[in-house]
Amino acid sequence: MNDTAILSEPAAGTGQAREPVLKVVNGAKVYGGVHAIEGVSFDLYPGEVHALVGENGAGKSTLCKAIAGAIRLTSGEMFVDGKRVDFEQPRDALSAGICMVYQETSLVPTMTAAQNIELGNEKLLTRFRTLNIQAQQLLQSLNFHVDPATPVALLGTAKKQMVEIARAIYNKARIIIFDEPTASLTPEEIVHFFHLVRDLRARGVAIIYISHALEESLQIADRITVLRDGRLVITAPAKTLTRDALVQNMVGRQVAQAVYGRSASKTHERREKVLTVENVTMGMVVKNMSFSVYAGEVVGVAGLIGSGRTEIAKIIFGALKRNLVNGGTIRLRGKPIRYRVPRQAIDDGIAYITEDRKANGFFETMIVDDNVYIGSLATRAGFSFLLSRARRSKLANYWVERLKINALQRKARIVELSGGNQQKVVLAKSLVQEPTIIIFDEPTRGVDVGTIPHIHAEIRRLADEGKAVVVISSYLPEILAVSDRILVARTGRIVAEFDAAEATQDKILYAAVH
Amino acid sequence: MAVESPLAPASTPRFRFSLTKPTQEQIVLLITIALVIVFGLTLNGFATLSNLLNLLRSISILGILGLGMGLIVISRGIDLSEVAIMAGSWSIALIEMQHGMPIGWACMIALGLAVTIGVVNGVMVAFVEAPALFVTLAAGFVIYGLAFWFAPAWVVYAPKDAPALMFLGAGRLFGVPVPIFVFAVAALIIHLFLSRTSIGRFIYAQGDNPEAARLSGIALRPLMVLEHVIVALLAWIAGLVWIGTTGSMQMAITQGTMIFDVVLVVVIGGISLVGGRGGVFSVVVGCVLIGTLLNAFTIMDVNSEVQNIIKGIVLLAAIVLDNFLHPRDEETARQGD
Repeated sequence: MNDTAILSEPAAGTGQAREPVLKVVNGAKVYGGVHAIEGVSFDLYPGEVHALVGENGAGKSTLCKAIAGAIRLTSGEMFVDGKRVDFEQPRDALSAGICMVYQETSLVPTMTAAQNIELGNEKLLTRFRTLNIQAQQLLQSLNFHVDPATPVALLGTAKKQMVEIARAIYNKARIIIFDEPTASLTPEEIVHFFHLVRDLRARGVAIIYISHALEESLQIADRITVLRDGRLVITAPAKTLTRDALVQNMVGRQVAQAVYGRSASKTHERREKVLTVENVTMGMVVKNMSFSVYAGEVVGVAGLIGSGRTEIAKIIFGALKRNLVNGGTIRLRGKPIRYRVPRQAIDDGIAYITEDRKANGFFETMIVDDNVYIGSLATRAGFSFLLSRARRSKLANYWVERLKINALQRKARIVELSGGNQQKVVLAKSLVQEPTIIIFDEPTRGVDVGTIPHIHAEIRRLADEGKAVVVISSYLPEILAVSDRILVARTGRIVAEFDAAEATQDKILYAAVH
Repeated sequence: MAVESPLAPASTPRFRFSLTKPTQEQIVLLITIALVIVFGLTLNGFATLSNLLNLLRSISILGILGLGMGLIVISRGIDLSEVAIMAGSWSIALIEMQHGMPIGWACMIALGLAVTIGVVNGVMVAFVEAPALFVTLAAGFVIYGLAFWFAPAWVVYAPKDAPALMFLGAGRLFGVPVPIFVFAVAALIIHLFLSRTSIGRFIYAQGDNPEAARLSGIALRPLMVLEHVIVALLAWIAGLVWIGTTGSMQMAITQGTMIFDVVLVVVIGGISLVGGRGGVFSVVVGCVLIGTLLNAFTIMDVNSEVQNIIKGIVLLAAIVLDNFLHPRDEETARQGD
């Protein structure tokens, strides 16, 4: 940890307070043996905007959740106004004046703005009129043009955010955490939002600002902290930082060189064009997305969360449905396709390997063999009414060996496996269906470092066998390590395409962010 | 690497005994054995062969219904119309018999009605995507109303001279009441279906993680229809046993607490409402526990209010135990990440 980088002088707007309102010392959070954050020391002064930047999974959210009391730190200490605190639940943090404004708004949609502002602080008896007048006064004092009697469901994103902020002020929040506040705002709304943040700062509120948009952070923040792999890389005044410096701190890692070494890049001559996506649109998430995938190549898809990269994969696979009218065309070897259920995609040889194996990747009560066998049974070719123990072990033995799944754990239920082995089982469960197009979504998320090369080797092997492979990842070193061609998604579109040889992390990140 | 012989059986290895974390079946089995020993030593007339056979006979209808409910709860569904299917389809069939329809035909009508209701339930749940709880609750009311329309009587009596119809409920084989055999055979068939066929595996997969099952390419919708049809089939068989036992079919049972007794035996035995857990053995163990309690209460002459209170407490205890054995919170959910 670079101690010299942490400046003792707060670059606060009001500048009088020398005592930090919030201090985290050596904070660490461990999930199942893996450090989500480790040794993070963080401080925040009144009237300061402190931006947190880092890649997906760098630990920004974990740190903020701990500060907001949604999770508890495994070790480390937290001080508010110099007093040691240990929040057991968000309520405790709230009463200490810490309020988190979430990315997905946490308002109750059917209640009015006024009711939402007062939520959790209702008196036994409240008149609607009193409530509305109170809310009106609060909203006016903040310069928000929101009608307190409107149900929140009818408000736009920007106004919902205003209600959330008003609620934070109503709760006398002295520390407000914004998680990606500008992600769903229009440019004009962003300008307004920045005014608001400056206004809050002038009132002496301390603000933690999480954002992917680096320019925004540089513009609005007094100080910026960069996290990488759960560790704090640097904390410095925004004035002393540049975009390049931030990017360098976000991605430059030593581990990356060892694990994500560029695989021997042999030139693949392009073969058959197997999958074409033309102008596919789904609601506001995927807009006119177009790209093609060829047999025998690995296409990397980079992009931030919310860029539509997972959604397009699920649309191809039939797990999500694109717009019925003007939804665009997807062609499989020239033939237009539109699947109602994933089963049809699987029958046509498409596999989608989920980004969230816990939520929808494997069957947790079953052992490794059963998970693999069910994958095979679910296909038209592999179905048989009676279970065959011999076929089950044959399939499982093959995939356990090919993917180097820890054989000692074969009789354990899959929840008891390590993240890496779980991921390999999910892979095996899909690959046993003998697909010709394989879409990996975050193939190494939550996977131990030792297992990552196995998975990358398998991706390469599949492409060498002539299959078309798509790898979606928010982890740039991974994209660079496995891809022959790199697509960058942003706000529902493919905005850039690079050849693996010419791509760099900077170029990709730049395209993905702005 | 080739581990051939010591592979776990096709079903999940739920008979693995560990002292640190016993399964719910094992806990309930131990409690049941303890109760049988205690009652046998303290209650007059409990530990006789005839009473024990009577005990088993008394739970067989509940058990057959429980097999259907167990199967559908394993798939993370529920069917609250099971008792209504049994009573409704057979009431109509018995009325037709009274009107002179041949017994075989009437039985087929009951079967046809039951399966139709099962298909309708399944289609509503799978294709219309209405919650199973409400679909089947509503189906129960509709069946009740329809059956009353066709057969306006609380009790419909079976024809006097129909030994074939009565055999499953009233007969004895080798001195053992036939309902026990019916329950045993049904349990065996459902057990083999769940543990030895791919459809059975799919039912567990669906209950374990429906979204993962869908993404794996399992055809969930036809599967859900099939599950509701199996429930209806078992309700039909249970109705046959019921008629043999009582000589009649009572529509009143659809308005009573019987359906909750069915859910009770399923949940007690360790078929978690979370889905994907437990099996036929759970239903059998749950039935034997409830049968033992009710039998002992009858001998002790405990009134039915107290019996209901105790049943309620046992159900709550089972659900608490289930929560304790399968805790769900952020920390456990992220194990292995």
